[in-house]
Amino acid sequence: MSDLNPSPQIGRSIPRLEARAKVTGRTEYVHHLRLPGMLHGKIFRSTMPHALIRKIDVSAAAALEGVYRVVTIDDIKTVLPHPYYGPAFHDQPVLADGKVRFAGEPVAVVLAYDRKIAEEALGLIEVEYEELPAVFDEMEAAESSTLVHDELKPAATFPDLQHLKGRRGTNIALDYKLRRGDVDAAFAMADHVFEHEFRTQQVMHIPMEPFVTVADVVDGQATIHTASQGPSFVRIEMARFLGLPENKVRVKVPHLGGGFGGKLYIKLEALVTSLSLLVGKPVKISLTMEEQFFMVTRHPCTFKIKSAVTKDGKITARQCRIWWNGGAYADIGPRVTQKAGFTSAGPYDIDNVWIDSYAVYTNRPPAGALRGFGAPQTAWAYECHMDMMARELGLDPADFRRRNILRNGRPQASGTLLRDADIELSMDQVMGHLNWSKPFDHGNGAVRRGRGLAIGFKGITAPTTSVAIVNLYGDGSCALYIGTVDMGQGSDTVMAQIAGEVLNMDAAAIKVIHPDTDVTPYDMGTLGSRSTFHMGTAVRLAAEDARNKIEELARDLGLPPGSNLPVAELLRKKYGMQAGNIIGTGSFIPDYEKPDSETGQSRMATPFWGVGASGAEVEVDMETGQFTVTKLINVADIGVPINPKLAKVQLSGAGIMQYGFTTTENMIFQNGQLTNGSLADYKIPSLLDMPRDFINEATQSRDPQGPFGAKGAGESTTIALSPAIGNAIADAIGVHLLDLPITPETVYRAIQSVKSAKAGA
Amino acid sequence: MSTHRLIRFTLNGVPSKAMVSSQDTLIDLLQNQFDLKGARESCSQGLCGCCTVYLNDKAISACLSLAWFADGAEIRTIEGLAQGETLDPVQQAFIDAGAFQCGFCTSGFIMMTKKLLEENPHPTEEEIRHYLVGNLCRCSAYPEIIDAVKALSRRAG
Amino acid sequence: MAMADLDIHEPGDLAEAFCLLRAPDGAARPMGGGTALMLMMKAQLFKPSALVSLAKVDPRFHGVELSADGASFSIGAMTTFAELEHHADLCARLPVIAQTMVTLANPRVRNVATIGGNLAHADPHLDLPPVWASLDAEVSVIGPQGERRFPVIELFAGYYETTLQPGELIMRLHAPVQQGWRRRYVKVTTRSAHDWPAIGIAIGLKMQGARCEDLRLILSAATDRPTRLVAAEAVVRGQAITDDLLAAAGKAAASEVHIETDSRGSSDYKAHLLSVHLKRALHDLCE
Repeated sequence: MSDLNPSPQIGRSIPRLEARAKVTGRTEYVHHLRLPGMLHGKIFRSTMPHALIRKIDVSAAAALEGVYRVVTIDDIKTVLPHPYYGPAFHDQPVLADGKVRFAGEPVAVVLAYDRKIAEEALGLIEVEYEELPAVFDEMEAAESSTLVHDELKPAATFPDLQHLKGRRGTNIALDYKLRRGDVDAAFAMADHVFEHEFRTQQVMHIPMEPFVTVADVVDGQATIHTASQGPSFVRIEMARFLGLPENKVRVKVPHLGGGFGGKLYIKLEALVTSLSLLVGKPVKISLTMEEQFFMVTRHPCTFKIKSAVTKDGKITARQCRIWWNGGAYADIGPRVTQKAGFTSAGPYDIDNVWIDSYAVYTNRPPAGALRGFGAPQTAWAYECHMDMMARELGLDPADFRRRNILRNGRPQASGTLLRDADIELSMDQVMGHLNWSKPFDHGNGAVRRGRGLAIGFKGITAPTTSVAIVNLYGDGSCALYIGTVDMGQGSDTVMAQIAGEVLNMDAAAIKVIHPDTDVTPYDMGTLGSRSTFHMGTAVRLAAEDARNKIEELARDLGLPPGSNLPVAELLRKKYGMQAGNIIGTGSFIPDYEKPDSETGQSRMATPFWGVGASGAEVEVDMETGQFTVTKLINVADIGVPINPKLAKVQLSGAGIMQYGFTTTENMIFQNGQLTNGSLADYKIPSLLDMPRDFINEATQSRDPQGPFGAKGAGESTTIALSPAIGNAIADAIGVHLLDLPITPETVYRAIQSVKSAKAGA
Repeated sequence: MSTHRLIRFTLNGVPSKAMVSSQDTLIDLLQNQFDLKGARESCSQGLCGCCTVYLNDKAISACLSLAWFADGAEIRTIEGLAQGETLDPVQQAFIDAGAFQCGFCTSGFIMMTKKLLEENPHPTEEEIRHYLVGNLCRCSAYPEIIDAVKALSRRAG
Repeated sequence: MAMADLDIHEPGDLAEAFCLLRAPDGAARPMGGGTALMLMMKAQLFKPSALVSLAKVDPRFHGVELSADGASFSIGAMTTFAELEHHADLCARLPVIAQTMVTLANPRVRNVATIGGNLAHADPHLDLPPVWASLDAEVSVIGPQGERRFPVIELFAGYYETTLQPGELIMRLHAPVQQGWRRRYVKVTTRSAHDWPAIGIAIGLKMQGARCEDLRLILSAATDRPTRLVAAEAVVRGQAITDDLLAAAGKAAASEVHIETDSRGSSDYKAHLLSVHLKRALHDLCE
């Protein structure tokens, strides 16, 4: 990632546009927003994982001095007859509607001008429940007669889910299928068949700025200030929810204190807007760190994977069956089920593929999007599976991968041809950093060493649209109007660099107008590594449009070609004074073909491929199972980095986050009750946890479809990291772990299992 | 004996006073009465460091500190580090190293780094990691934070 | 109904403090640095009606002093961790304290938390209480009925429970500086490095040649209070140190206490960690 780039803006590591605001504590977050006359809401939550609500007594809470009002679903229904929301299914009531489906679900809200009084009043609410049988495990729920929802209610926003409408008697919210070739025949003819089952745990995004929304509904117009990654989606869904046209719903998003996929679609917005509509005042709800665990999480999953392999180490068939534990409400889980499903056979060239991927309701907190959109869970399975097979076959794991790796120009399981995806190059770079071709000292005493690698890829949500506006003012200065949310990834800066490149302007001089749906045009959302590619292209088109209009204006003014008069002078000539604008617009939707609903086959299933490879070296204390990742390497193909420094911190940041999901993070439940929902007991990585030798880099790649060769970078290093560590541990101890997280105790138990197997033999 | 009290203190060098309740934390005081937003509450348990301020020149977690006891104290926040337009060297080093992403934890890291270097101008990497272990960055700009501290240490000669 | 009031008092003498703490509802809490108290109040684990600051009650609650004969430190209950951490004399004579501080919470907590408040909190996961116990430290407590002094290990009665009588306050801690003892605090974490310990082991060991003359083994975190590992001590005391002996000590430790399963590990895994880390730490200390 060198800065030696002849281009004026692209490939330059300029500081973030908002750098000074961030180091001086002046950055604007919704967290700090206070509106005149604003009420604070505090949420009373269910203590039962699955129960009917017999009675809610709010009288004592309502009587507490300073309490403005205590609100239940019955109150909401006086203004909104059907207060249900959700991006894929309209299955979630803003407050429990006669029934609770997970412990922690919102049941009532206390409103007060003083947040502390609202909090105090929570202790005075009493609810009588009639407990129902509950189901927590995805495998159990898939078969269970205990139902989380009586009927499936797909949202109209996703036409491909309409066939699920009205389905009853099941916890399976969506069943995704991919069929390619003849799997049965290939298994029948195989030299070897391997089958393994893997599981991943429930984890949470933990943005440092907890979820927060301020809504102000007055005179039939709603203004929603929200820490959201998807302001356009919030507007569309809240307009539907409120029965208003889009132009009566205004959604504003300043900077976000982290998102990671959690702050997508609809979260607090539906509840807070309902409350404001009900009481006619601005209402703010900011969750505590503890409450965040009840908002949205990452899907745990069970993945059964089976491969047919020839004696030469060529994989001829693969069957993947995945059950995603979506918790009590679907959120975007059905999309995770599809999108992670279609790449779940891994980045391998396999002729016969069978994939079943199920979104399953359970009585746990809901699961949705989290950095990688299911790809990290699937890669944990398919990449550990690869090493386990290589071990059985006596092949070098890297060599085994190389015999099967998917190369550009070859069809992926969906039939879409791989293109501009440097999977093998990424693996090569990881191998280089691991000195893979050199002998490795595994040790033989109390400390054993191991090394491992893994590769992975992901498809990008499609089809999605981004629209951008470039506005040149009378003095020639420039502002960019975009709906992309800068939640730390640096999109403001990158988009300014793209516009600056086209307009030959200094990116640092360009102002980026933050999402305000009254002002900024539509964008599908800041998610799934799509912004640089999609919005970046829209910004490039908008800037080119502006540039064309500048040339047009020069022609209209009778100036000879190449006169290159500054914009300010052109506008002054036209209007006789400093006035006017030049407005360029750009809109981008990539080529896409909806996969066949029976086979999952598509000519173009993704606008680009996210690619990551990881490598790890570990030391394992054979007596206790305690381990240290002594070296961690992440390599990603992100095309041409627009801002190499920002890209690098995305790669390493995503890597450390996934490192937490691999080792220390785990939401632990007892009978459906979360037992470790705070940062004291749910441990995210600190500086002491970061591996001492930690390498992150991009391949020298280029995606000709992306703006100036760039593509997304936010998720690539999450994909292959867990299995790289898992494979390194297996290399050290001689046995594979099948479940995440990898903890000292699980490693210890694995070591013991080898010992007792040997003793028994 | 009362549940409200007038306290006097200096805030970023300015003599100040405020009426506080016995339940107000320093974060409540700074945000609600002085519109200072650089120190912010996140984990509420003193573990993440987002709320770091100096009370009588010592770094503390403002979310766990009652405003009541700030009577007579000297309080300094991230807003008090820069001299006019000139950033504190620690702030500048964080920009130069690109040591943050979303920025929510950044005030705390800067405040703690400044204390670290006051106590130990040339910390080893392990000392940096230990001193800043009570500051959590979920975007995980940790490598760049270490770079920023090391750059400052080098500059200290 | 109105929101419950919280009164804050900063009494200037002990008599006033005792009077305030004798509030009829029993919900007046003494306050040192306030770190643990604030955490519990924020989590709504309890709601005191009054906080009684001990900052100004008596000069005897403050200061770190080495006795004239150099035999012991006397530490005021209101001494902060940071004061101890930066107390050159104490760190030189009791280096185990400085060693423990490195992984104890974070500098902000250490700037505020006090020695007395830390003991009175009686959370078994805390790092310093087992270390004090391994030093044979004693506490002086003072209450309406007068003053008494007893070994610090007798202070702990269970999770968040002490043997303090109503109104009694921890005033000073007395930590002997014993010659010839080797000491270590072993903090074993099983998740992130900045987690609370899964087990903590505070060790004091006095050797005479290759033979162990005396030792103290205190387990924390895995049990409901800092617990002396009597059986493990008995295995080692008076014996010549061998690998087999240390392994036997580890096993004795693991079987003499009841360890609960929690999110940091199962009961038997933590017992295993105890036996291994005890064995290793003793081994290292013998070298």
